[in-house]
Amino acid sequence: MSADTISMRDALYEAPGPKTRRRIVIGTVIASIALVALVAAVAWRFYITGQFAPQYWEFFTKWSTWNYLLSGLLGTFEVALTAGAIALVLGVVFMLGRISKNKVVSTIFRIVIDFFRGVPSLLLIYFFFLVIPAYGIKMSSFWMLALPISLTASGVLAEVFRAGVNAVPAGQREAALSIGMSEGKVMRKIILPQAVRFVIPSLISQLVVVVKDTTVAYVVSYPDMLQNARVLITNYDALVSTYFVVAIIYILINFAINQASIYVARRSGTRVISRNQEDPV
Amino acid sequence: MGLQELLSTYGGMYGQALLVTWRMTVVSYLGAMALALIVTVARVSPIAPLRKLGDFYVQVFRNIPGVSLLIICVYALPNLRVVLDYEACVIVTTVLVASAFGSENFMSGINTIGVGQIEAARSIGLSFGQILRHVVIPQALRSAVLPMTNLLIAVMLTTALASQVPLDPPELTGLVSYINTRSVGGILPFFVSAVGYAGTAFLIGIVGNRIDKKVRILR
Amino acid sequence: MPDIETTAAAAANEGAATPIIEMSHVDKHYGQLHVLNDINLSVEKGEVLVLIGPSGSGKSTLCRTINRLETIDSGEIKIDGTPLPQEGRELAALRAEVGMVFQSFNLFAHKSILQNVTMGPIEVLHTPKAQAEEEAMELLRRVGVAEQANKVPAQLSGGQQQRVAIARSLAMHPKAMLFDEPTSALDPEMINEVLDVMVELAQEGMTMVVVTHEMNFARRVANRVVFMADGQIVEQAAPDEFFDHPKSERARDFLNSIKGH
Repeated sequence: MSADTISMRDALYEAPGPKTRRRIVIGTVIASIALVALVAAVAWRFYITGQFAPQYWEFFTKWSTWNYLLSGLLGTFEVALTAGAIALVLGVVFMLGRISKNKVVSTIFRIVIDFFRGVPSLLLIYFFFLVIPAYGIKMSSFWMLALPISLTASGVLAEVFRAGVNAVPAGQREAALSIGMSEGKVMRKIILPQAVRFVIPSLISQLVVVVKDTTVAYVVSYPDMLQNARVLITNYDALVSTYFVVAIIYILINFAINQASIYVARRSGTRVISRNQEDPV
Repeated sequence: MGLQELLSTYGGMYGQALLVTWRMTVVSYLGAMALALIVTVARVSPIAPLRKLGDFYVQVFRNIPGVSLLIICVYALPNLRVVLDYEACVIVTTVLVASAFGSENFMSGINTIGVGQIEAARSIGLSFGQILRHVVIPQALRSAVLPMTNLLIAVMLTTALASQVPLDPPELTGLVSYINTRSVGGILPFFVSAVGYAGTAFLIGIVGNRIDKKVRILR
Repeated sequence: MPDIETTAAAAANEGAATPIIEMSHVDKHYGQLHVLNDINLSVEKGEVLVLIGPSGSGKSTLCRTINRLETIDSGEIKIDGTPLPQEGRELAALRAEVGMVFQSFNLFAHKSILQNVTMGPIEVLHTPKAQAEEEAMELLRRVGVAEQANKVPAQLSGGQQQRVAIARSLAMHPKAMLFDEPTSALDPEMINEVLDVMVELAQEGMTMVVVTHEMNFARRVANRVVFMADGQIVEQAAPDEFFDHPKSERARDFLNSIKGH
């Protein structure tokens, strides 16, 4: 019936009668006025503090400004994609260890996964920034950022992959074993490929967390977008406008990634596994 | 530096740092839950501008990086003559971000209920308020237990942002860089802080799973 | 109040008393689709009316408009002489007097079977809890699921769940019951356990509107069969007459198409 296809938030309310309709109209008017007032209040704040002055916004019409921000964005993407790729591999390895039939192995990997899911990426970044060099290991700022981010992501990805493996019907494994495949081959040829298909939308949405994690790049002096924004600020003395513009760019990028994940999920008929994807540091 | 030496010198500070992390986590989580509730009410209200505002709020704050928001709070807001102290900025940042995810959890909790149960409740003559009280809210809350547990852990991890502002006393992540600037750190100072986080996350996970097992709705 | 002891046969006589359900000139559109086209229908007290027709004919929609789960564009629906209110307390009060049984049971997933049945009486009728539970247990015994009272819906079979749903409606002491394809989501072996409960209800004199594909049930229990197609009532008659001598071509085609069953 048509009722099953409407969303729950619509289903909470029934088709309004005349009184309810009037109330909704009044509510809509009040809410609209309040909303406009809110926007106006924020704009007023900007205005009375002089933040609308052209000097704070003019340099955004210059190509060099955008060029600089985009080169920082490129740095962001490089770190994010590298960290994401490493996390994919580590995630699979951790997951395989976690589902191992050997109790000792699975316990160890369980601890490893829980550890990386349970510590902030910032702490690991400090570890790579402060401790690793103290042991005489030279590492570029790129890797000081990419490695800790990939470690935190791999803990989450391991759990995502595990959910994917669990989603593969048991009959698949039994059928493969019955035609004489070895356990290892079953995992490689039958289960993993299907599990990966299940979790692709979740992997994409996990990229949002990785992108967010890269924003502390200034800790290790890696030139990502936020770090480059700081340089712009010292050049143009336009702190408020720059930080707001950069925040909006980040929001749009992450929004796009999320939409892509939803799109892929819809097309493949899978759903986004959101377990702990909300680690927003 | 050995563990014993580390703990005899900084043990008290670690204890304090753990308490600061916990305190900021609890305060932020409570604030986030309250705000998430308000945002969710707006998102399911029949008033279109409120719905759109709620959806917009969630998209903005689930996608903004925490650091970016913290920087705006610490550096940009004073230029707009809105001045918050450092800890308040960390908490505001965490609350804003976490409430967006909290609202998503509530929404998916509501979505698991299904239109049919609402119609059935209507058919036996329950009022809108009664339907919310007896059918929608209890089910949404119960199916949100696990996601909200994960959110609590995420909130704790987000409070590590406090290491980016001078906080006295520092929390677990800030303390590590504090120690490192004073003595030759090595792995241990990190490990102690990491155990503080991971241990807390572990405990939260256990409690959350227990509660979930008790209240989970069979479908 | 009309005479409670009125029998189904007497009730079927035109104009005997106020009809329990009365629809006049009811119209409804889904966009371009005319789902209900000038529906005029009245159901007398104690009458069992079975709505049949091909899928998409509007019979479910018609059933759902009676307690305003679906709105109508124009026309009028009266329940026991009172126009169906559009909203608020009055609508809720009227719904409490009309039971509804859905295809997909729709039991409250977080409540026990007993709580499912007592919720309406306690919250809407303000029946004391002990009394509501006593009555609920009696109803559950009647539909044969008393032993399951403390389980939750997901632990019951589909047939059991549907019988609980019937008990939940009965607990409100409804003036009439609406059944929207109550057996369509059930495995074949469970259909009869639900139909048996419905037959019993009919024999006790409950006013019923039933949307169903179970032709044997219609023949056995209905006082009147209403055949719908394309949002219109094409023909209505006593079951024997309808099934043996359908007047319209649409009805003949429909009956032929389902004969295999």
